[in-house]
Amino acid sequence: MSREARFLAVRAKVAAMEAPAMPSRAVAPFGDPAIDGVFAEGGLPLGRWHEAAGEGMEIETAAATAAFVALLATPLAAWGAVVWVMRRDDLYAPGLMGMGFPAERLIQVKVNNDTQALGAMEDALRTAGVAAAIGEAREVDLTGGRRLQLACETNGATGFIIRRRPFGGKGRRLDSGSAAATRWTITAAPSGPAQRGAVLGMAGLGAPRWRAVLERCRGGRTGGWIVEKSDGPYPLRMVADLGDRQLETPPLLRLAS
Amino acid sequence: MALVAAERGVRRLTAVDDLAAGLGLYPGQKAADAGALAPGLITDEAAEDADRSALIQLGDWCARFSPAVAEDPPDGLFLDITGVAHLWGGEAALVEDLLDRLGKNGLRARAGVAGTPGASWALAHFGYDRTLVPTEGEAAALAPLPVASLRLTPAIAEQIARLGLVSVGQLGALPRAAITRRFGEEVVRRLDQALGLACEALTFRRPPSPWLARLTFAEPISAPEDLARVTADIAVALCARLESEGQGARRFELAFHRLDGQAPRRAIGLSLPAREAGRIARLFLPRLETVDPGFGIEVVTLTAHEVEPCLAQQQRLDEPLASEAALAPLVDHLSNRLGAGCVWRAEALPSHVPERAVARRPPLSKPAGGAWDPRKPRPLRLFRRPEPIDAVAPAPDDPPVFFRWRGGPHRIRRAEGPERIAEEWWRRPLEDADPAKVRDYYRVEDEAGARFWVFRAGPYTGAGHARWWLHGLFG
Repeated sequence: MSREARFLAVRAKVAAMEAPAMPSRAVAPFGDPAIDGVFAEGGLPLGRWHEAAGEGMEIETAAATAAFVALLATPLAAWGAVVWVMRRDDLYAPGLMGMGFPAERLIQVKVNNDTQALGAMEDALRTAGVAAAIGEAREVDLTGGRRLQLACETNGATGFIIRRRPFGGKGRRLDSGSAAATRWTITAAPSGPAQRGAVLGMAGLGAPRWRAVLERCRGGRTGGWIVEKSDGPYPLRMVADLGDRQLETPPLLRLAS
Repeated sequence: MALVAAERGVRRLTAVDDLAAGLGLYPGQKAADAGALAPGLITDEAAEDADRSALIQLGDWCARFSPAVAEDPPDGLFLDITGVAHLWGGEAALVEDLLDRLGKNGLRARAGVAGTPGASWALAHFGYDRTLVPTEGEAAALAPLPVASLRLTPAIAEQIARLGLVSVGQLGALPRAAITRRFGEEVVRRLDQALGLACEALTFRRPPSPWLARLTFAEPISAPEDLARVTADIAVALCARLESEGQGARRFELAFHRLDGQAPRRAIGLSLPAREAGRIARLFLPRLETVDPGFGIEVVTLTAHEVEPCLAQQQRLDEPLASEAALAPLVDHLSNRLGAGCVWRAEALPSHVPERAVARRPPLSKPAGGAWDPRKPRPLRLFRRPEPIDAVAPAPDDPPVFFRWRGGPHRIRRAEGPERIAEEWWRRPLEDADPAKVRDYYRVEDEAGARFWVFRAGPYTGAGHARWWLHGLFG
């Protein structure tokens, strides 16, 4: 066998090893070409795991990130149960229901530390009948991320990690290499015109809006948008493109596993 | 050596050892008389509580013979051996083994086997040791025994004996009405209980479960991997039985009977009745690490509780993915590892107070069918305790225009409200109810877009400073 043929054979073997066990063609589109266009698959890839983080006080409270992730997971809930793993059980189900998330499909799990959280996430993702698992963890290291990815591939369930330090404290800057398919930074944005009556002298609240910055996207591009909760066929509607194309593209991380 | 206890002001012997018995001492004798008969008698106070706890411990130990053990204070135990004797090759072999093991531990015991608790008590106390009564043979077996064997109060037994009725057979031959008239109901009831004509409820230490599997080892085991292996084996044995009868159980209890008589137990609970041996054994695995094998484990028993019919289900191909059965392994795994209260599904409670509107239910329980009012805005994160904020509100009934929370300033741009939520006054005595205990909730948004749920405690009175609290975040 020639040297080149051997090289090709090895490359095919590596490719076979790297390929997900189940071809994950499924995507959850945002319904807007401006957002869907940056993903190689044409929408948020399912059967992978995604990471969302907040900024400032949100690192501790993680309200905007939770709202954004809950909206991303809402269409998935039609396919099965959603498991929400958290260290601090301040998630309020009536609020979730108010956002259109089917709270009766939600199984909440309280854990004591990050290790348990990731373990519970993995168990949930491996279970048939679970469409999505949402976990609140301080950070996910490369090994943990890889394990989550493998768990996602067993049944095609989608994972979401909300980066959160639930009890405050001094923390390291929340960034590290990660095996996540996408990574978002979510901050609240001022809402648009009110739908309901305002209080005297002050405008009412419109549909909640978020500033969603796609910081990393495997096989795709980055981007930033202002999105708003929508009652239409897609849970989120794009309001404006942040247009900051100068966001520097982080070096694409390749895992040699 | 003898033990003494005070009984109505008189100190009497409660137990004597062999040597003392040889000197003619007997339980019930006055301590002073005994001291006169045997000047060298060593006495000690009887410890009733210690006796009682030792009996309970012995009862636990006996669970290796049958899961249904009832204590019979002060010195007896009932074992319900229905359906377990075949594990030893018959009742005789079981009794032999039991007494042999007790003897090796320095406990002298007598046993009787009969179809009723009363008859077995009589045989153990007054019959030949190790008497086995065949089915329906109680009347014949009891006939020669003294009347006291019927567990009568001593006064009545004495009264009967005074009439010249010595044996149970003689008593049974009398007309029942006459016995009742003369000695009260107790005699007839005890007689019926002994002969199986009336039923008797024993208070078992553990509710008996006929779903029991048992593994005995020739050599005691102690290695962790051995424990894991026997757990898998015993689960297979019990689950095969459950399956053959179309049953499944919600709770399993595994007991490791150690050489020193202790029996550490581990239990798991399931959300749906199940009988998959592999899954059940896996749920036990994390708990085995804490089992202390001591000098070795010689017997392992597994019991199933809350057994219900559980039909093998055929999954339809077009069935939606999220069926209860698919989720049960996950829920069981997580709740056994993290604790039962750590896995839940939120359910609506009919209460308008935000803290009380959510109930935590087991994830796979039947939904009660309540729902929250979707028109009322509720936050995504609700603080367990509202946090105080420094707020500036220009007019009495207006939302704040500015507040400071955890040191950070928030200038309000948009607001909605108020929604007035009063306390549930019907939950407390009427005189404690206070119309001022209301909260006016506002949904506010600051310049950056962060949305908060704040409330003012109490209505505006004009006097003093209104207190504001932050209760949740909308994200």
